[in-house]
Amino acid sequence: MTASVDLSITLGRLQLPNPILVASGTFGYAREMANLVDLSRLGGMIPKTITAAPRAGNPPWRTVETAGGMLNSIGLDNDGIDAFIAHHLPYLTSLGTPLIVSIAGSNYDEFVAMAARLDSCAGIAALELNISCPNVSHGVDFGADPVMCHKVVSGVRQACSLPILAKLTPNVTDIVSIAKAAAEGGADAVTLINTCLGMAVDWRRQRPILGNVVGGLSGPAIKPIALAAVYRVAQKVQVPIVGVGGIASIDDVMEFLVAGATAVQIGTANFYHPTITMQILDALPEAVASLGAHAVRDVVGTLKTKAAQHPAGACK
Amino acid sequence: MIEKAATCFADQAWHGTAAVVENVQLARNTWRIRVECPELARRILPGQFVMVRLAESNDPLLGRPLALYDTYPAADGHPQGIDLVYLVIGRMTRKLQSLAAGARVEIWGPLGNGFRPRATDHLVMVAGGIGQTPFPALAQEYLGLRTYGDPPRTVEPAKKVTLCYGVRSAEYLAGLDDFRRLGVDVRVATDDGSAGHHGFVTDVLRKLLDEIGPVSSPADDGQQRVPVRIVSCGPEPMMHAVTELATQRDVLCEVSLETPMACGIGICFSCVAKVRQADGTWDYRRTCVEGPVFNGASIVWD
Repeated sequence: MTASVDLSITLGRLQLPNPILVASGTFGYAREMANLVDLSRLGGMIPKTITAAPRAGNPPWRTVETAGGMLNSIGLDNDGIDAFIAHHLPYLTSLGTPLIVSIAGSNYDEFVAMAARLDSCAGIAALELNISCPNVSHGVDFGADPVMCHKVVSGVRQACSLPILAKLTPNVTDIVSIAKAAAEGGADAVTLINTCLGMAVDWRRQRPILGNVVGGLSGPAIKPIALAAVYRVAQKVQVPIVGVGGIASIDDVMEFLVAGATAVQIGTANFYHPTITMQILDALPEAVASLGAHAVRDVVGTLKTKAAQHPAGACK
Repeated sequence: MIEKAATCFADQAWHGTAAVVENVQLARNTWRIRVECPELARRILPGQFVMVRLAESNDPLLGRPLALYDTYPAADGHPQGIDLVYLVIGRMTRKLQSLAAGARVEIWGPLGNGFRPRATDHLVMVAGGIGQTPFPALAQEYLGLRTYGDPPRTVEPAKKVTLCYGVRSAEYLAGLDDFRRLGVDVRVATDDGSAGHHGFVTDVLRKLLDEIGPVSSPADDGQQRVPVRIVSCGPEPMMHAVTELATQRDVLCEVSLETPMACGIGICFSCVAKVRQADGTWDYRRTCVEGPVFNGASIVWD
């Protein structure tokens, strides 16, 4: 019965075999997971964000667990685009899994140049623009201002032929306006959300716990924030949404699809349940069928609300 | 900054839930938990670690890295599970301590590189605090008492195995009987003088190296048998001091780092240490997949 469920989805110009992707920065460069996960089953893989030049990243501590989640301040530790193309891309493109390369430029020109460079590499399905990393200052600037967001997305769109996902930060007053700017700039989809700015303090030593003082909160703690972002953008902007934030079970996946996400990314759950993506993929057809649907796309945005809610949420 | 160091991904890792067989106190705030996981136990090597979390619970959320203390055999002699020794120090270890036989934990491993099987006449293990935990398995391997890994790896036996073991106070000494029963030469130091040498474990090591006398070691990356080989695990200032002492005496020294870790499998980039590169610069390297065991001289100590 469930064998007939169509799992394929479309994000603008990007077609994927199923909606279960893995989030950048939570899956290494896939090689690390090759013996724990059947990589070929994933709907898409997004390796750790790359930058134009190598970055050492932030000093330890880089992560700390908090209630229902974790903070990180890795700081885009990576070996740069040259090393990525030379050492990671051949492996990643050999897997047959749709590869979405996450890039972060420190300015407009870097974003455009990296996109053009990757456009000339074979085997890449799409780019994800990380304009939302809270641990590097320039990245988040592009995701916090609609004008800059539009500029960088449209610049990349002109510079390359690959489909584009724009990954947005929740650390803004109105994520809907940023998503709208990304869509108008030519993004094939928006990825909602990157981590929420957070902090942990060791009061006895009167010190921050993270080496970078502040970091990004992820994990189950931020799922409601991500769901609200997906729902609000889905109501207002005509652009496919990739939901991410605390997804750790098939129920979480279905919540995001119903709320308006076309696909999802599994992030922090990979850290504490390395085979979670396989369990979710096993359970997906039956969950979709349980809503009477024959295709994943038919459950996207099927949330039933009685009346329009106040956009800012519950105000007392 | 390409991948220069050897990486050891979770290429033999098993992930599943496993039953607790027993959970017993060894010393103050120090417990040994025995977990039945034959697939993992068959493959794990001394110095490798596993990630452990509570089954069916998201509090705590992340797994915790724990070093292999030892494997235990089934009736047929094959490894049936593993022993892990932990200090009760935070939320996870408090909950671990409360687990009784039959409880289930989620576990993945073996992880990390473990200790190399480099032959030596005299294996010197230097532990501080809870840093003795990787050494019972290594000691048995070098005393020719047990093999580890699948297929089992063979290590040329050492003539002598010594443990220099420093703790705050005698009541924290955990597993001394285990080491003595194996035939390990055990030398203790305590901060308060309640057992053994009153002072640092590095004092004990210095005295031992004085007894051994001058040695000269071939290059660290070689394969020849070395007269003395130091392996160390414990607080970073201690491992730093051990490394300096070893360098002064021309003795090979490896350290097993314990950096804060979120995943244990190389995907989160949390557990980095400053590791010297071939060109003399340092780079943050992941201890979970490039360690936890490093040549002590390659670490840039803060």
